[in-house]
Amino acid sequence: MMTSPTVDDLLEGFIVALQNEIMPHVGSPKAYTMCQMLQSLIQEVRQVMPVYDTYVAEEHNGMTRVLRETAAVLGSVNGPEADRIRERAATLGSKADVPMPPDQEPIRAAHRELGYALQDCITDLDVLQRAGHSEADAALQVIRGHLMGRIVRDTETITAGAGMAGRG
Amino acid sequence: MEQSVAALMQQVLPEISNVSIEGFEQIAGGFSRETFKCDARVTRNGSEEVLPLILRKDPPDVEAILHTDRSVEHNLIESLRLRTTIPVSRSYGYEMDPAPFGHPAMLLERATGSGQTSALFNGGADEDQAESVIKHLCEVLVELHSCSIDKIDPDGALTDPFHRGIDIKSWDAFMDSTIEFFESSYTSLNYDPMLMIALDAVYTLRRNKPRPMPLAIVHGDFNPANFLYENGQVSALIDWEASRVGDPREDLGWMVLMDVVSDAHVMDYPKKEGGFLAYYNKLTGNDITPEELGYFTLFGTMQIAVPVQQFVSRRVNKEYMLLLPYYVAQSSIPAFPLMSKLMGYEGVPA
Repeated sequence: MMTSPTVDDLLEGFIVALQNEIMPHVGSPKAYTMCQMLQSLIQEVRQVMPVYDTYVAEEHNGMTRVLRETAAVLGSVNGPEADRIRERAATLGSKADVPMPPDQEPIRAAHRELGYALQDCITDLDVLQRAGHSEADAALQVIRGHLMGRIVRDTETITAGAGMAGRG
Repeated sequence: MEQSVAALMQQVLPEISNVSIEGFEQIAGGFSRETFKCDARVTRNGSEEVLPLILRKDPPDVEAILHTDRSVEHNLIESLRLRTTIPVSRSYGYEMDPAPFGHPAMLLERATGSGQTSALFNGGADEDQAESVIKHLCEVLVELHSCSIDKIDPDGALTDPFHRGIDIKSWDAFMDSTIEFFESSYTSLNYDPMLMIALDAVYTLRRNKPRPMPLAIVHGDFNPANFLYENGQVSALIDWEASRVGDPREDLGWMVLMDVVSDAHVMDYPKKEGGFLAYYNKLTGNDITPEELGYFTLFGTMQIAVPVQQFVSRRVNKEYMLLLPYYVAQSSIPAFPLMSKLMGYEGVPA
């Protein structure tokens, strides 16, 4: 997977393209307003996406704790309602905390650094290949084997439909 | 803009008068230039005529995929139109002064025929024409590649039209200088390390040069979207801005790749002749092998990939904010498996 442009770069691009490349050509006030709504929703996705998994995990762990604390505060109150609250604390409230998703930025930075290291290996291997070291041919195939898996997966993941819009 | 179109028409066709421009609108028309269509209603020899026109205008420099010259494109088109039977749209003229149109621009006759070439394939409405259209397309390409370079381009404008440092004094010089250009350009396009596939392609091309072949004028962007057709024939080969002197196998190779990217099947036709390469070989006697075709698919890909990925790179770096480069980047992804296959990556899917 490429780390540049980021998904956020793409989303930002959609908002800018709507503003500069589409909305000036939209004649219908209704459609113009829909474009503005679309920009607002895309901006929502930009804001939500970086924190979504973290917030869900935090809130999951927070709710288990709250279930337990709620039951604890009730103490020895009797009755079916109180029993149901204690039951929830004992079951759902005892769920283990889910792990917090790691910060993606350092992972992407490291991914990028490793990618450029492979790129530099390809350059060094080319020199060795031209110098007649057949081992370099085999070494290059190791890198290519890694890339091939990514190429197949990226193609499946990124492409959408066949052909190119606006070109015949 | 309409006034500038009328003024340019009046300038290049002094015999016309009462020029009025109608139906002026921007059309999709490729990715590299801004393209508009309109009709010029004119009076000539006392009679009223309607001239269908295409205006091709340069984008701002930073937004350009290819930095090409409208005067060079005009001169080539007119040279081909007057000296060959290659179907091209007449180029009426060009304006290099940015004042009238905002950027340099050229005016062409709007050729008849359909540009919806996808209708020729995959069960499209014109699939019954595919055999004859593509057969003619192949004949057109053979005629182009058979042209005398000196005759078509007497001033040498197509020697190195994009100022890449290309040397055409021999086939080897051309190949070496072009591959050197690919390599030196890499740092300006590797916005993501995954582009190392392109770098691998550059080195692979340098290590595996095939047999030489006489250089020719190549179209330079010979792909399924760059021709019009009607009545089973090619009515125009269009978009000549990437044309230059090169190895004729580049056009064939680029079509192979663009067939994949565009979900087209030009190279499968004419089926009665065993496909595009077989028919091309039959007409030229060149005996281009599938291996050579593969090499030049990679080579032709790099010819276009360099400016295209530089275009994407400038957008990723936010030097400008158009949407198109992101779409181009997405559309380029299907090229990677084919490039990998041509380089001998293991595990390429069938």
